[in-house]
Amino acid sequence: MRIRVDTELCQGHGRCYMLAPDLFEADDDGYSQPTAERPVPSELADQARRAFMNCPEDAVILTEETS
Amino acid sequence: MTDAAPDSHYTLERPEEAVDPQSIYRDLRDNTPVVQLSGRSTTGTLTISRHEDVMTALRTPELFSSDSSAVQIGNTRPLVPLQVDPPHHSKHRKALDPLFAPKQMVKYEPRVRELIRELIDEVADNGHCNFHDDIAEPLPSTIFVELLGLPVSRVDEFLALKDGIIRPPARSLEERYEMVKATGQKIYAVLEEVVEARMAERQDDFLSTIIDAKVDGQPLSRDDVVDIGYLFFLAGLDTVSASLDCIVAYLAQNPDHRQRVADDPAIIPHAIEELLRYESPVPIVPRITTADTEMSGCPIAEGSRITVLLGSANTDERVWDNPHLVDFDRESNKHLGFGGGVHRCLGSHLARMELRVALEEWHDRVPDYRLADGLELRYSPGIRQVDNLELVW
Repeated sequence: MRIRVDTELCQGHGRCYMLAPDLFEADDDGYSQPTAERPVPSELADQARRAFMNCPEDAVILTEETS
Repeated sequence: MTDAAPDSHYTLERPEEAVDPQSIYRDLRDNTPVVQLSGRSTTGTLTISRHEDVMTALRTPELFSSDSSAVQIGNTRPLVPLQVDPPHHSKHRKALDPLFAPKQMVKYEPRVRELIRELIDEVADNGHCNFHDDIAEPLPSTIFVELLGLPVSRVDEFLALKDGIIRPPARSLEERYEMVKATGQKIYAVLEEVVEARMAERQDDFLSTIIDAKVDGQPLSRDDVVDIGYLFFLAGLDTVSASLDCIVAYLAQNPDHRQRVADDPAIIPHAIEELLRYESPVPIVPRITTADTEMSGCPIAEGSRITVLLGSANTDERVWDNPHLVDFDRESNKHLGFGGGVHRCLGSHLARMELRVALEEWHDRVPDYRLADGLELRYSPGIRQVDNLELVW
Protein backbone atom coordinates (compact mmCIF):
# COMPACT_ATOMS: atom_id res chain seq x y z
CA MET A 1 0.00 0.00 0.00
CA ARG A 2 1.31 3.46 -0.98
CA ILE A 3 -0.07 6.88 -0.11
CA ARG A 4 0.33 10.47 -1.28
CA VAL A 5 -1.49 13.80 -1.23
CA ASP A 6 -2.49 15.56 -4.43
CA THR A 7 -1.40 19.10 -3.59
CA GLU A 8 -3.61 20.53 -6.35
CA LEU A 9 -6.68 19.13 -4.62
CA CYS A 10 -5.71 19.51 -0.93
CA GLN A 11 -7.49 22.52 0.64
CA GLY A 12 -6.37 22.06 4.23
CA HIS A 13 -9.53 20.52 5.71
CA GLY A 14 -7.24 18.61 8.07
CA ARG A 15 -9.20 15.38 8.17
CA CYS A 16 -6.15 13.25 7.28
CA TYR A 17 -3.88 14.48 10.05
CA MET A 18 -6.79 14.24 12.49
CA LEU A 19 -7.56 10.61 11.60
CA ALA A 20 -4.08 9.41 10.56
CA PRO A 21 -1.72 11.27 12.89
CA ASP A 22 1.08 8.74 12.35
CA LEU A 23 1.03 9.35 8.60
CA PHE A 24 0.28 13.08 8.28
CA GLU A 25 0.76 16.32 10.15
CA ALA A 26 -0.30 19.91 9.60
CA ASP A 27 2.22 22.27 8.07
CA ASP A 28 2.48 25.88 9.27
CA ASP A 29 -0.47 26.86 7.05
CA GLY A 30 -2.71 23.97 8.14
CA TYR A 31 -2.23 21.88 4.99
CA SER A 32 -1.24 18.23 5.03
CA GLN A 33 2.36 17.05 4.95
CA PRO A 34 4.24 15.03 3.80
CA THR A 35 2.65 14.86 0.36
CA ALA A 36 5.10 12.70 -1.66
CA GLU A 37 4.13 9.12 -2.44
CA ARG A 38 5.54 6.61 0.03
CA PRO A 39 4.89 3.07 1.26
CA VAL A 40 2.51 2.63 4.21
CA PRO A 41 3.84 0.39 7.00
CA SER A 42 1.37 -2.46 7.51
CA GLU A 43 0.55 -1.37 11.07
CA LEU A 44 -0.64 1.99 9.70
CA ALA A 45 -2.86 0.55 6.96
CA ASP A 46 -6.05 1.34 8.91
CA GLN A 47 -5.02 4.96 9.41
CA ALA A 48 -4.20 5.23 5.71
CA ARG A 49 -7.65 3.93 4.74
CA ARG A 50 -9.36 6.35 7.13
CA ALA A 51 -7.44 9.31 5.70
CA PHE A 52 -8.40 8.17 2.19
CA MET A 53 -12.08 7.69 3.10
CA ASN A 54 -12.51 11.03 4.88
CA CYS A 55 -10.89 13.61 2.61
CA PRO A 56 -13.68 15.90 1.31
CA GLU A 57 -11.52 16.84 -1.68
CA ASP A 58 -10.44 13.26 -2.55
CA ALA A 59 -6.87 14.54 -2.29
CA VAL A 60 -5.50 11.52 -0.42
CA ILE A 61 -4.43 8.98 -3.03
CA LEU A 62 -4.10 5.39 -1.86
CA THR A 63 -2.68 2.64 -4.05
CA GLU A 64 -3.18 -0.95 -2.99
CA GLU A 65 -0.34 -3.11 -4.30
CA THR A 66 -1.62 -6.24 -5.93
CA SER A 67 1.63 -8.27 -5.92
CA MET B 1 -31.96 18.43 -24.50
CA THR B 2 -32.21 20.69 -21.51
CA ASP B 3 -35.11 22.47 -19.85
CA ALA B 4 -35.13 25.74 -17.94
CA ALA B 5 -34.98 25.51 -14.14
CA PRO B 6 -38.44 24.98 -12.63
CA ASP B 7 -39.86 27.06 -9.77
CA SER B 8 -40.35 25.61 -6.31
CA HIS B 9 -42.77 26.39 -3.50
CA TYR B 10 -39.91 26.07 -1.04
CA THR B 11 -38.13 29.24 0.08
CA LEU B 12 -35.57 27.95 2.62
CA GLU B 13 -36.31 31.28 4.34
CA ARG B 14 -39.28 30.30 6.51
CA PRO B 15 -38.62 29.31 10.13
CA GLU B 16 -40.82 26.20 9.79
CA GLU B 17 -38.60 25.01 6.93
CA ALA B 18 -35.44 25.53 8.99
CA VAL B 19 -36.44 22.98 11.67
CA ASP B 20 -36.15 20.00 9.30
CA PRO B 21 -34.32 21.14 6.17
CA GLN B 22 -33.09 17.61 5.41
CA SER B 23 -36.49 16.52 4.07
CA ILE B 24 -36.64 19.59 1.81
CA TYR B 25 -33.11 18.95 0.58
CA ARG B 26 -34.11 15.39 -0.32
CA ASP B 27 -37.14 16.53 -2.29
CA LEU B 28 -35.02 19.10 -4.15
CA ARG B 29 -32.29 16.55 -4.96
CA ASP B 30 -34.74 13.95 -6.20
CA ASN B 31 -37.11 16.14 -8.16
CA THR B 32 -35.66 19.58 -8.89
CA PRO B 33 -31.84 19.49 -8.57
CA VAL B 34 -31.57 22.93 -10.19
CA VAL B 35 -34.46 25.10 -9.08
CA GLN B 36 -35.62 28.64 -8.52
CA LEU B 37 -36.96 28.90 -4.98
CA SER B 38 -39.71 31.32 -3.97
CA GLY B 39 -39.06 33.96 -1.36
CA ARG B 40 -38.00 37.51 -0.90
CA SER B 41 -34.24 37.16 -1.18
CA THR B 42 -33.91 34.16 -3.48
CA THR B 43 -35.78 35.53 -6.50
CA GLY B 44 -33.66 35.06 -9.60
CA THR B 45 -31.31 32.68 -7.82
CA LEU B 46 -30.85 29.05 -8.81
CA THR B 47 -30.39 26.52 -6.03
CA ILE B 48 -28.31 23.39 -6.56
CA SER B 49 -28.61 20.45 -4.20
CA ARG B 50 -26.89 17.30 -5.51
CA HIS B 51 -23.46 16.43 -4.14
CA GLU B 52 -21.97 16.14 -7.62
CA ASP B 53 -23.20 19.59 -8.66
CA VAL B 54 -22.18 21.15 -5.34
CA MET B 55 -18.65 19.74 -5.73
CA THR B 56 -18.45 21.07 -9.30
CA ALA B 57 -19.44 24.56 -8.13
CA LEU B 58 -16.92 24.53 -5.26
CA ARG B 59 -14.11 23.18 -7.42
CA THR B 60 -14.59 25.35 -10.50
CA PRO B 61 -14.10 28.90 -9.19
CA GLU B 62 -13.37 30.20 -12.71
CA LEU B 63 -16.96 29.31 -13.68
CA PHE B 64 -18.68 29.58 -10.27
CA SER B 65 -17.23 32.82 -8.95
CA SER B 66 -17.36 33.81 -5.30
CA ASP B 67 -16.97 37.51 -6.10
CA SER B 68 -18.92 40.16 -4.26
CA SER B 69 -21.82 40.27 -6.73
CA ALA B 70 -22.81 36.77 -5.56
CA VAL B 71 -24.38 38.00 -2.32
CA GLN B 72 -25.48 41.19 -0.56
CA ILE B 73 -24.01 41.46 2.92
CA GLY B 74 -23.58 45.20 3.27
CA ASN B 75 -20.04 45.53 1.99
CA THR B 76 -19.15 48.07 -0.70
CA ARG B 77 -15.82 46.42 -1.54
CA PRO B 78 -15.11 42.67 -1.91
CA LEU B 79 -14.50 40.78 1.31
CA VAL B 80 -10.94 39.44 1.35
CA PRO B 81 -10.25 36.60 0.61
CA LEU B 82 -13.79 35.14 0.35
CA GLN B 83 -15.01 37.35 -2.49
CA VAL B 84 -11.76 37.29 -4.42
CA ASP B 85 -11.30 34.63 -7.10
CA PRO B 86 -8.06 32.90 -8.05
CA PRO B 87 -5.31 33.86 -8.80
CA HIS B 88 -5.53 36.89 -6.46
CA HIS B 89 -7.34 34.81 -3.87
CA SER B 90 -4.45 32.43 -3.28
CA LYS B 91 -2.02 35.26 -2.43
CA HIS B 92 -4.24 36.68 0.27
CA ARG B 93 -5.23 33.27 1.51
CA LYS B 94 -1.56 32.29 1.81
CA ALA B 95 -0.98 35.32 4.04
CA LEU B 96 -3.94 34.44 6.29
CA ASP B 97 -3.73 30.63 6.52
CA PRO B 98 -0.94 30.66 9.16
CA LEU B 99 -3.08 32.76 11.52
CA PHE B 100 -5.71 30.00 11.66
CA ALA B 101 -3.49 26.92 11.36
CA PRO B 102 -3.88 24.11 13.93
CA LYS B 103 -0.49 24.97 15.46
CA GLN B 104 -1.78 28.44 16.35
CA MET B 105 -5.05 27.11 17.73
CA VAL B 106 -3.15 25.11 20.37
CA LYS B 107 -2.04 28.44 21.86
CA TYR B 108 -5.60 29.76 22.19
CA GLU B 109 -7.09 26.59 23.70
CA PRO B 110 -6.35 27.48 27.38
CA ARG B 111 -8.17 30.82 27.02
CA VAL B 112 -11.17 29.10 25.38
CA ARG B 113 -11.25 26.58 28.23
CA GLU B 114 -11.03 29.31 30.86
CA LEU B 115 -13.89 31.29 29.30
CA ILE B 116 -16.23 28.32 28.81
CA ARG B 117 -15.66 27.31 32.45
CA GLU B 118 -16.63 30.81 33.59
CA LEU B 119 -19.78 30.70 31.46
CA ILE B 120 -20.75 27.24 32.76
CA ASP B 121 -20.11 28.38 36.36
CA GLU B 122 -22.84 30.98 35.88
CA VAL B 123 -25.53 28.39 35.09
CA ALA B 124 -24.43 24.93 36.31
CA ASP B 125 -26.21 25.10 39.68
CA ASN B 126 -29.42 26.58 38.26
CA GLY B 127 -30.73 23.38 36.68
CA HIS B 128 -31.67 25.25 33.51
CA CYS B 129 -30.35 27.78 31.00
CA ASN B 130 -30.85 29.19 27.56
CA PHE B 131 -27.84 27.51 25.98
CA HIS B 132 -27.75 29.93 23.05
CA ASP B 133 -27.81 33.10 25.16
CA ASP B 134 -25.68 31.84 28.04
CA ILE B 135 -23.04 29.72 26.26
CA ALA B 136 -23.17 29.42 22.47
CA GLU B 137 -23.28 33.12 21.71
CA PRO B 138 -20.87 34.61 24.29
CA LEU B 139 -18.12 31.98 23.94
CA PRO B 140 -17.12 32.32 20.28
CA SER B 141 -17.91 36.02 20.02
CA THR B 142 -15.78 36.91 23.04
CA ILE B 143 -12.92 34.74 21.79
CA PHE B 144 -13.09 36.19 18.32
CA VAL B 145 -13.27 39.81 19.43
CA GLU B 146 -10.22 39.18 21.63
CA LEU B 147 -8.29 37.46 18.83
CA LEU B 148 -9.12 40.06 16.21
CA GLY B 149 -8.29 42.93 18.55
CA LEU B 150 -11.67 44.64 18.80
CA PRO B 151 -12.67 46.12 22.19
CA VAL B 152 -14.33 43.33 24.21
CA SER B 153 -16.45 45.87 26.12
CA ARG B 154 -18.39 46.49 22.88
CA VAL B 155 -19.16 42.84 22.05
CA ASP B 156 -22.95 43.30 22.40
CA GLU B 157 -22.85 46.17 19.92
CA PHE B 158 -20.89 43.99 17.46
CA LEU B 159 -23.35 41.11 17.82
CA ALA B 160 -26.22 43.48 17.01
CA LEU B 161 -24.38 44.71 13.91
CA LYS B 162 -23.68 41.13 12.81
CA ASP B 163 -27.36 40.23 13.20
CA GLY B 164 -28.25 43.36 11.23
CA ILE B 165 -26.47 41.80 8.26
CA ILE B 166 -27.34 38.13 8.69
CA ARG B 167 -30.90 38.41 10.06
CA PRO B 168 -32.27 41.90 9.27
CA PRO B 169 -35.94 42.24 10.35
CA ALA B 170 -36.94 43.33 6.85
CA ARG B 171 -40.34 42.83 5.22
CA SER B 172 -39.26 43.39 1.63
CA LEU B 173 -36.21 42.95 -0.57
CA GLU B 174 -35.79 46.73 -0.81
CA GLU B 175 -36.02 47.19 2.94
CA ARG B 176 -33.53 44.37 3.46
CA TYR B 177 -31.09 45.98 1.04
CA GLU B 178 -31.31 49.37 2.79
CA MET B 179 -30.98 47.86 6.28
CA VAL B 180 -28.01 45.73 5.34
CA LYS B 181 -26.29 48.63 3.59
CA ALA B 182 -26.73 50.93 6.59
CA THR B 183 -25.42 48.28 8.98
CA GLY B 184 -22.48 47.64 6.67
CA GLN B 185 -21.47 51.30 6.93
CA LYS B 186 -21.43 51.01 10.74
CA ILE B 187 -19.22 47.91 10.55
CA TYR B 188 -16.81 49.73 8.24
CA ALA B 189 -16.69 52.62 10.74
CA VAL B 190 -15.86 50.33 13.67
CA LEU B 191 -13.14 48.53 11.71
CA GLU B 192 -11.63 51.71 10.28
CA GLU B 193 -11.35 53.16 13.78
CA VAL B 194 -9.58 50.08 15.18
CA VAL B 195 -7.36 49.55 12.11
CA GLU B 196 -6.21 53.21 12.30
CA ALA B 197 -5.33 52.71 15.95
CA ARG B 198 -3.38 49.50 15.23
CA MET B 199 -1.54 51.10 12.32
CA ALA B 200 -0.35 53.74 14.76
CA GLU B 201 0.48 51.20 17.46
CA ARG B 202 0.52 47.40 17.07
CA GLN B 203 -0.84 45.02 19.70
CA ASP B 204 -0.79 41.24 20.08
CA ASP B 205 -3.83 40.57 17.90
CA PHE B 206 -4.85 39.43 14.39
CA LEU B 207 -5.39 42.94 13.03
CA SER B 208 -1.82 43.90 13.96
CA THR B 209 -0.47 40.71 12.36
CA ILE B 210 -2.49 41.35 9.20
CA ILE B 211 -1.24 44.95 9.02
CA ASP B 212 2.32 43.59 8.98
CA ALA B 213 1.55 40.78 6.49
CA LYS B 214 3.01 40.94 2.98
CA VAL B 215 1.29 39.96 -0.27
CA ASP B 216 3.69 39.82 -3.24
CA GLY B 217 6.25 41.45 -0.97
CA GLN B 218 4.03 44.47 -0.40
CA PRO B 219 2.14 45.40 2.77
CA LEU B 220 -1.65 45.36 2.55
CA SER B 221 -3.48 48.64 2.12
CA ARG B 222 -5.62 50.00 4.94
CA ASP B 223 -8.70 49.08 2.89
CA ASP B 224 -7.44 45.50 2.45
CA VAL B 225 -7.05 45.14 6.23
CA VAL B 226 -10.55 46.53 6.78
CA ASP B 227 -11.99 44.19 4.12
CA ILE B 228 -10.39 41.16 5.79
CA GLY B 229 -11.74 42.39 9.12
CA TYR B 230 -15.27 42.73 7.68
CA LEU B 231 -15.26 39.09 6.61
CA PHE B 232 -13.89 37.97 9.99
CA PHE B 233 -16.52 40.07 11.75
CA LEU B 234 -19.41 38.29 10.03
CA ALA B 235 -17.86 34.81 9.98
CA GLY B 236 -16.39 34.88 13.48
CA LEU B 237 -19.44 36.22 15.29
CA ASP B 238 -22.05 33.80 14.00
CA THR B 239 -21.01 30.44 12.63
CA VAL B 240 -19.51 28.78 15.72
CA SER B 241 -22.50 29.90 17.81
CA ALA B 242 -24.89 28.32 15.32
CA SER B 243 -22.80 25.15 15.21
CA LEU B 244 -22.82 24.83 19.01
CA ASP B 245 -26.58 25.44 19.01
CA CYS B 246 -27.21 22.74 16.39
CA ILE B 247 -24.95 20.18 18.05
CA VAL B 248 -26.30 20.65 21.58
CA ALA B 249 -29.91 20.80 20.33
CA TYR B 250 -29.36 17.43 18.63
CA LEU B 251 -27.75 15.87 21.71
CA ALA B 252 -30.49 17.20 24.01
CA GLN B 253 -33.06 15.36 21.88
CA ASN B 254 -31.05 12.14 21.42
CA PRO B 255 -30.16 10.74 24.86
CA ASP B 256 -28.10 7.80 23.56
CA HIS B 257 -25.81 10.07 21.58
CA ARG B 258 -25.62 12.53 24.47
CA GLN B 259 -24.73 9.76 26.90
CA ARG B 260 -21.97 8.52 24.64
CA VAL B 261 -20.42 12.01 24.48
CA ALA B 262 -20.69 12.35 28.27
CA ASP B 263 -19.15 8.90 28.89
CA ASP B 264 -16.36 9.09 26.31
CA PRO B 265 -14.89 12.54 25.61
CA ALA B 266 -12.56 10.95 23.02
CA ILE B 267 -15.57 10.58 20.72
CA ILE B 268 -16.23 14.34 20.73
CA PRO B 269 -14.11 15.20 17.64
CA HIS B 270 -15.96 12.51 15.67
CA ALA B 271 -19.34 13.63 17.03
CA ILE B 272 -18.53 17.18 15.88
CA GLU B 273 -17.68 16.07 12.32
CA GLU B 274 -20.79 13.89 12.08
CA LEU B 275 -23.13 16.59 13.39
CA LEU B 276 -21.52 19.23 11.17
CA ARG B 277 -22.41 16.84 8.34
CA TYR B 278 -25.94 16.04 9.41
CA GLU B 279 -26.97 19.44 10.79
CA SER B 280 -24.92 21.58 8.38
CA PRO B 281 -25.15 24.73 10.55
CA VAL B 282 -23.87 26.80 7.60
CA PRO B 283 -25.97 25.14 4.90
CA ILE B 284 -25.46 27.56 2.01
CA VAL B 285 -22.68 29.32 0.14
CA PRO B 286 -23.37 31.73 -2.74
CA ARG B 287 -21.72 31.78 -6.16
CA ILE B 288 -22.30 33.57 -9.47
CA THR B 289 -21.66 32.08 -12.91
CA THR B 290 -19.14 33.67 -15.27
CA ALA B 291 -20.38 31.87 -18.41
CA ASP B 292 -23.31 29.81 -19.66
CA THR B 293 -23.19 26.29 -18.28
CA GLU B 294 -25.38 23.31 -17.40
CA MET B 295 -26.02 21.16 -14.36
CA SER B 296 -28.13 18.00 -13.98
CA GLY B 297 -29.50 18.62 -17.47
CA CYS B 298 -30.58 22.19 -16.76
CA PRO B 299 -29.10 25.21 -18.56
CA ILE B 300 -27.63 27.94 -16.36
CA ALA B 301 -27.00 31.35 -17.91
CA GLU B 302 -23.93 33.51 -17.37
CA GLY B 303 -24.45 35.86 -14.43
CA SER B 304 -26.83 33.54 -12.56
CA ARG B 305 -26.68 33.73 -8.79
CA ILE B 306 -26.30 30.22 -7.42
CA THR B 307 -27.26 29.02 -3.96
CA VAL B 308 -24.97 26.06 -3.29
CA LEU B 309 -26.68 23.78 -0.77
CA LEU B 310 -23.83 22.29 1.26
CA GLY B 311 -26.41 20.88 3.66
CA SER B 312 -28.03 18.88 0.90
CA ALA B 313 -24.72 17.58 -0.45
CA ASN B 314 -24.01 16.37 3.09
CA THR B 315 -27.08 14.09 3.05
CA ASP B 316 -27.21 13.07 -0.63
CA GLU B 317 -28.18 9.39 -0.93
CA ARG B 318 -26.20 9.26 -4.20
CA VAL B 319 -22.88 9.40 -2.31
CA TRP B 320 -23.56 8.62 1.36
CA ASP B 321 -24.35 5.33 3.06
CA ASN B 322 -27.31 5.86 5.40
CA PRO B 323 -27.12 9.67 5.18
CA HIS B 324 -30.01 10.17 7.61
CA LEU B 325 -28.39 8.06 10.29
CA VAL B 326 -26.26 10.02 12.77
CA ASP B 327 -23.31 7.70 13.41
CA PHE B 328 -20.30 8.95 15.37
CA ASP B 329 -18.38 5.87 14.13
CA ARG B 330 -19.07 6.59 10.45
CA GLU B 331 -16.19 5.09 8.50
CA SER B 332 -16.25 7.57 5.63
CA ASN B 333 -17.22 11.19 6.27
CA LYS B 334 -16.23 13.58 3.49
CA HIS B 335 -18.61 16.27 4.73
CA LEU B 336 -18.69 19.77 3.28
CA GLY B 337 -19.67 21.47 6.54
CA PHE B 338 -16.76 23.86 6.05
CA GLY B 339 -17.38 24.17 2.33
CA GLY B 340 -14.73 22.97 -0.08
CA GLY B 341 -12.41 24.01 -2.86
CA VAL B 342 -10.22 27.10 -2.60
CA HIS B 343 -12.64 28.91 -0.24
CA ARG B 344 -12.72 26.14 2.39
CA CYS B 345 -13.59 27.87 5.68
CA LEU B 346 -10.49 29.76 6.80
CA GLY B 347 -11.56 29.51 10.44
CA SER B 348 -12.36 25.79 10.43
CA HIS B 349 -9.51 24.83 12.75
CA LEU B 350 -10.51 27.54 15.23
CA ALA B 351 -14.14 26.41 15.01
CA ARG B 352 -13.24 22.77 15.65
CA MET B 353 -11.12 23.65 18.66
CA GLU B 354 -13.82 25.86 20.19
CA LEU B 355 -16.53 23.26 19.59
CA ARG B 356 -14.41 20.46 21.09
CA VAL B 357 -13.41 22.41 24.20
CA ALA B 358 -16.97 23.65 24.74
CA LEU B 359 -18.44 20.14 24.44
CA GLU B 360 -15.75 18.63 26.70
CA GLU B 361 -16.32 21.17 29.46
CA TRP B 362 -20.11 21.24 29.17
CA HIS B 363 -20.49 17.46 29.38
CA ASP B 364 -18.01 17.29 32.24
CA ARG B 365 -20.19 19.64 34.29
CA VAL B 366 -23.67 19.01 32.87
CA PRO B 367 -23.69 15.48 31.44
CA ASP B 368 -27.42 14.84 31.71
CA TYR B 369 -29.68 17.47 30.16
CA ARG B 370 -32.72 17.70 27.91
CA LEU B 371 -34.96 20.27 26.25
CA ALA B 372 -37.36 22.15 28.52
CA ASP B 373 -40.82 20.56 28.57
CA GLY B 374 -43.00 21.45 25.60
CA LEU B 375 -40.24 23.39 23.85
CA GLU B 376 -40.42 23.74 20.07
CA LEU B 377 -37.00 24.73 18.84
CA ARG B 378 -36.70 27.80 16.63
CA TYR B 379 -33.99 27.39 13.97
CA SER B 380 -33.12 30.49 11.96
CA PRO B 381 -33.19 30.16 8.19
CA GLY B 382 -29.78 30.59 6.55
CA ILE B 383 -27.13 30.12 9.21
CA ARG B 384 -28.91 27.86 11.67
CA GLN B 385 -28.84 29.35 15.13
CA VAL B 386 -31.35 28.12 17.75
CA ASP B 387 -32.11 31.16 19.89
CA ASN B 388 -34.64 29.47 22.23
CA LEU B 389 -32.44 26.52 23.19
CA GLU B 390 -33.85 26.16 26.73
CA LEU B 391 -32.22 23.23 28.51
CA VAL B 392 -33.04 21.64 31.89
CA TRP B 393 -31.01 19.19 34.01
